[in-house]
Amino acid sequence: MSTLPPGSVHGPVDTTATGMSPALEIDDIQSGALHERPSPYVGTYLLLKVHEPADGRELIRRLIPLLQPGRELTEPGLGAWLTVAFTYEGLKVLGVPQDSLDSFAPEFQQGMAARAAEIGDVGANSPEHWEKPLGTSDVHIALAALSPDAAHLDAVVDRARRAQEQMPGVEVVWRQDCYQLPTGRTSFGFKDGIGQPTVEGAGTPPTNRGELPIKAGEFILGYPDETGGMAPVPTPDVLGRNGTYIVFRKLHTRVAAYRQYLHDKARTREEEALLGAKMVGRWQSGAPLALAPDEDDPALGADPARNNDFGYATDLRGFTCPAGSHARRANPRDSLDHENSVDVRLHRMIRRGTSYGPPLPDGVLEDDGEDRGIIFVFAGAHLKRQFEFVKTQWLNDGIFIGAPDEKDPLVGATDGSSPFTIPQHPIRRRLPDVPPFVVTRGGEYCFAPGLRALRWLADLTT
Amino acid sequence: MGSDTSSRPGIRVGPTSEFSLFFHVKPGHGEALHQALRDLQAAPGYRPGDYEMPIASIHEARFVPFDDDTRLLFATSFDGPWDAYMEDFASKPLRLFDAIFQHVVGYEGLPTLESVKDFILSAQQSAGGYARNYGGTVKEIRKAAKVNEAFQQVLDDPDAAEALEHPALRPLLDVAAD
Repeated sequence: MSTLPPGSVHGPVDTTATGMSPALEIDDIQSGALHERPSPYVGTYLLLKVHEPADGRELIRRLIPLLQPGRELTEPGLGAWLTVAFTYEGLKVLGVPQDSLDSFAPEFQQGMAARAAEIGDVGANSPEHWEKPLGTSDVHIALAALSPDAAHLDAVVDRARRAQEQMPGVEVVWRQDCYQLPTGRTSFGFKDGIGQPTVEGAGTPPTNRGELPIKAGEFILGYPDETGGMAPVPTPDVLGRNGTYIVFRKLHTRVAAYRQYLHDKARTREEEALLGAKMVGRWQSGAPLALAPDEDDPALGADPARNNDFGYATDLRGFTCPAGSHARRANPRDSLDHENSVDVRLHRMIRRGTSYGPPLPDGVLEDDGEDRGIIFVFAGAHLKRQFEFVKTQWLNDGIFIGAPDEKDPLVGATDGSSPFTIPQHPIRRRLPDVPPFVVTRGGEYCFAPGLRALRWLADLTT
Repeated sequence: MGSDTSSRPGIRVGPTSEFSLFFHVKPGHGEALHQALRDLQAAPGYRPGDYEMPIASIHEARFVPFDDDTRLLFATSFDGPWDAYMEDFASKPLRLFDAIFQHVVGYEGLPTLESVKDFILSAQQSAGGYARNYGGTVKEIRKAAKVNEAFQQVLDDPDAAEALEHPALRPLLDVAAD
């Protein structure tokens, strides 16, 4: 006598057998949520403050034609993706009724700055040190434009800017440009963006044979999710449906400190590369330790058909890939399935990270004072059980791997006293006092509505 | 039953938090409940001496029928803040106790995981007092037991005393005498 509907069976689910999910309304969903960013890419993030609600709504109306719903950005002619999202304060200023505002996820209503203590943004990462106006009530609308090349990006950003300039009641309060480094890697030197979940019905083929596509309702509001139910859809339905929550974080990377730490702990360049790979879970090329245990394999790293096609079930003790490594923490894959404590499929994240700032030249171990880092972007239906769960339980804590003193060695909220354990024969290696290599410069919880919802917002009259 | 969120996730000692659920037993289901508990006790992982419960993040589990079998207590110690794992708990682990919860009020016919979650939370009461005699997660304790077992094997070797004289083994020598 089961108390749960059949769709709520977890673990690898035969989605063809339970394939009752309604088709995704691709043409109503903003493209940034469902499709990979281009590579290479250039991008611009703009944050806007709405002084005059009518101007804000008119701006939305003019931005709608610039959006490319749901479509893959494969043809150069398509130009650039523009994504529009709103903070809670933004929706409020634009005139969304209070009962509707109250229907959004509590974490969204509170905003990222209010969640700082919970998610580990303390000390040097706390909102009082954030770049203004991040984390303040002045951030209302977030625009993200991503393109394969600067010309197309400029064209879209110019159109967005022109739309904004004609609206004196809307002010650009923050801008961040980003671009893929010439290496195609992050400032730490690693290829990133690998290991995205495959969204059922979105048309993207799976890259990890061990993980069946995740129900679309885990990422897009208004569809069945992995629990067999549905994430709460903000009301009215026209506003909530086809929307997704967005987490946006500017993370400064302390690249010199990272290199210096590895340099101090390793005797050779090879050992340095190995320690770096053990901390990240992948080699710099993106080749996963699980498939390339001993040395980097650039061909593997570059191959999207192979670089995500692995699990950890045969390496539970972490001799190949440490349980505490960054990639394994952020997505433990099948390593926790036997424990019956957690369902990894309930904690998957779509990530759309980009890099900002100049690279630290090769070999430099001293900080050059430049601001560089990552714009971390999450898309999902649950701020709490996806982003905040991964951040608090898997990245900022080590209880789940039986190492309460350890944190993610790359991005964990640390005061610099946490160790990092590398299982190896004959005896494990424990790196002491891993310093913080990432500093939160600020961020926002946003909501990216569907296109019908944007029209609804533009038509508000309050 | 209180579901006051301010009392969550209850008292925490080190990495471990207390977690107790108080249910109402369906009228007339007392004997069936006892049978289900006997069945659980006879299942792998729950038999005396098994020490391998299917849920890896709890230190122990007890089901206590009380008030003439009209009530049922489930009490455990959970590694981590259990409230963060509510959705997880409501799906997989709860299912492992399906045969027991069938005999409590409010369990059947829950349409969504959200309603299962509400069912659990409505039964949860935070402890007024909670203390532990050892620190560490289940994983750490299991590892510590394994390491101790290995160490005892070392001590059984006639050459152990000489081997432990090495300066690097001094901390082990310090605990080898008893």
